[in-house]
Amino acid sequence: MSGRGVSDAVHSARRPHRSPRSIAGARAGWLLSAPAILFVGAFVVFPLCFAVYISLTNWPLIGSYHFIGIRNYIYLFQDSTFGQTVLFTLEYTAIVTVPILLVGYGLALLVRANRPGAVIFRTIFFLPYVVGLPTESYMLLLELQPDSGAINFLLSRLGIASQSTAWLIHSNLALIAVSVLVVWFASGLTMVLLMAGMQGIPRELYESTQIDGASWWDQEWNVTIPLLRGTIALSLIISIIGSFLAFTQFYILTQGGPGTSTDTVVMWIYQVGFVQLHLGEATAMSIVLMIVVGLISMVQFISLRAGQEQGT
Amino acid sequence: MRTMHLAPSAEERATALLLYFGVAITAAVIFAAPLIWSIIRSFQPAQVIGQPLSAKDFHHFIFGNYTGLVGDPTNIMLHVGNSLIVAGATAILTAVVATLAGYALGRPRLHYRGAGLVFSMILVTLMIPFQAILTPLFLELHAFGLTNSLFGLVLFYTTYNLPFGVFVMRNTFTHIPQAMEDSAAVDGAGVLRTLFEVLRPLVVPGVATTVLYAFLFAWTEFLGALIFLTSDSKLTLPLALLNVESGSYGQVNFGYLIAGAVIAMIPCVVLYVALQRYYIRGLMSGAVKG
Repeated sequence: MSGRGVSDAVHSARRPHRSPRSIAGARAGWLLSAPAILFVGAFVVFPLCFAVYISLTNWPLIGSYHFIGIRNYIYLFQDSTFGQTVLFTLEYTAIVTVPILLVGYGLALLVRANRPGAVIFRTIFFLPYVVGLPTESYMLLLELQPDSGAINFLLSRLGIASQSTAWLIHSNLALIAVSVLVVWFASGLTMVLLMAGMQGIPRELYESTQIDGASWWDQEWNVTIPLLRGTIALSLIISIIGSFLAFTQFYILTQGGPGTSTDTVVMWIYQVGFVQLHLGEATAMSIVLMIVVGLISMVQFISLRAGQEQGT
Repeated sequence: MRTMHLAPSAEERATALLLYFGVAITAAVIFAAPLIWSIIRSFQPAQVIGQPLSAKDFHHFIFGNYTGLVGDPTNIMLHVGNSLIVAGATAILTAVVATLAGYALGRPRLHYRGAGLVFSMILVTLMIPFQAILTPLFLELHAFGLTNSLFGLVLFYTTYNLPFGVFVMRNTFTHIPQAMEDSAAVDGAGVLRTLFEVLRPLVVPGVATTVLYAFLFAWTEFLGALIFLTSDSKLTLPLALLNVESGSYGQVNFGYLIAGAVIAMIPCVVLYVALQRYYIRGLMSGAVKG
């Protein structure tokens, strides 16, 4: 940034011209926003447009390419593995979404009222989210080992599973293991979002229902939840989009196996684009994914706006 | 529950508090135990980690997993260094770019035609998952010689931290009283001098939030690094651990893997616990304002 240029512009403009301060201010505003615009233009807007173009070609990583129209998209719907990864990703999303919301809501109930120790508890509940999925997937990998891992040790003591259960070579068991990991990882985020919403509800609303003799549960159901609709929608959308884009936890723990049975959509895009080097096809899948995620985000905006118009 | 219209008695309050502590402590143990357990595991010899658990394994602990990671083939310090460079540079670059943009978009003095559009454009970026534009990004960075480059990775991470950063910084600047800026203008301070000499102390919390988010994002990011970095010497820590996972000669050293995971965890825990005020506040401002 040419800091000198900006301050000079302001100084010279202070001489009495036609509304000099606002012109100089506007120019400085442009200059100050320029780096951000450049970043977003170069690494979001441009690749976005470029993606549409690539998806209409048979782009290999090296060598020449030619325009093939929408053939990649047609192929996409005939590609049974792509369909299978979509189904698997949906199944995974369906499994983790409600538990994340419920656990997050429960944690928010514990920490929202600033009871003694609430800050410490909040810190601990949010810790798994901060540490991140790569690290935690490596940790889980060790404890899921048959015979030596702590998970089988615990479960066999409880009589639930045998000491030698091989979690990662059965797709259903792997899905369960990853889902538990992700609920543990992501609930803290939902907790913080809901806590912010809960703390924004005026106290008087509860006090007036208390006079009516409403129970704790009645208050929660009739006051908190209706007023939190927007926040609940936001945290649901964030967790659904996160699940749609799942990659790291499966890549580290199962590599998509056995076969391609635990491949998520993003893993399949990675496989087709960066392992098989069919960039056109991978990009067509990416665009479909982006449209789906975009639609979910739009639902969020619409539901939030609807919530605001009702005065919540 | 008919008695609820009376103020809760001391006895009821004590029961509620006891219930709260019981549930909260149980939950805290469940949430913290896996991380603490992993730290304990990282001090066990690899051959012990590979055997069924037994109480007698917890009598002697070693540093061998950590010292073993330092040498070949892992060279963990190189990858910790790569991660520190990438996360540190991402944090600084994001903070600078987001602060300047937040300043321009948050102060009426700097308002320009199209400012609203620029802000919307940056926010819409929040809705575009980078996972879905990896192929064009790869080709673009490749054309500029920025694949397999820590600098290229920093540019990528910075871009995807900007929407949140600009959002936080614009909020921060919007809440500064006009009088602060006016008094600086009377003294003849230019736009940047006003920022550095008058507004700086007021925007430090926002900058701290932005820095913290960008640093932790870059420190824990996996997919982008997997695609954009190709040579072993450039790998960031989460990727280097992938090589430990695949093992040398097909033999995984779980002692190394768990020690490496603990090393990756430490900066996150330390930064978050020290600066969580900024972290939680940033998240909450995002949640409340939608």
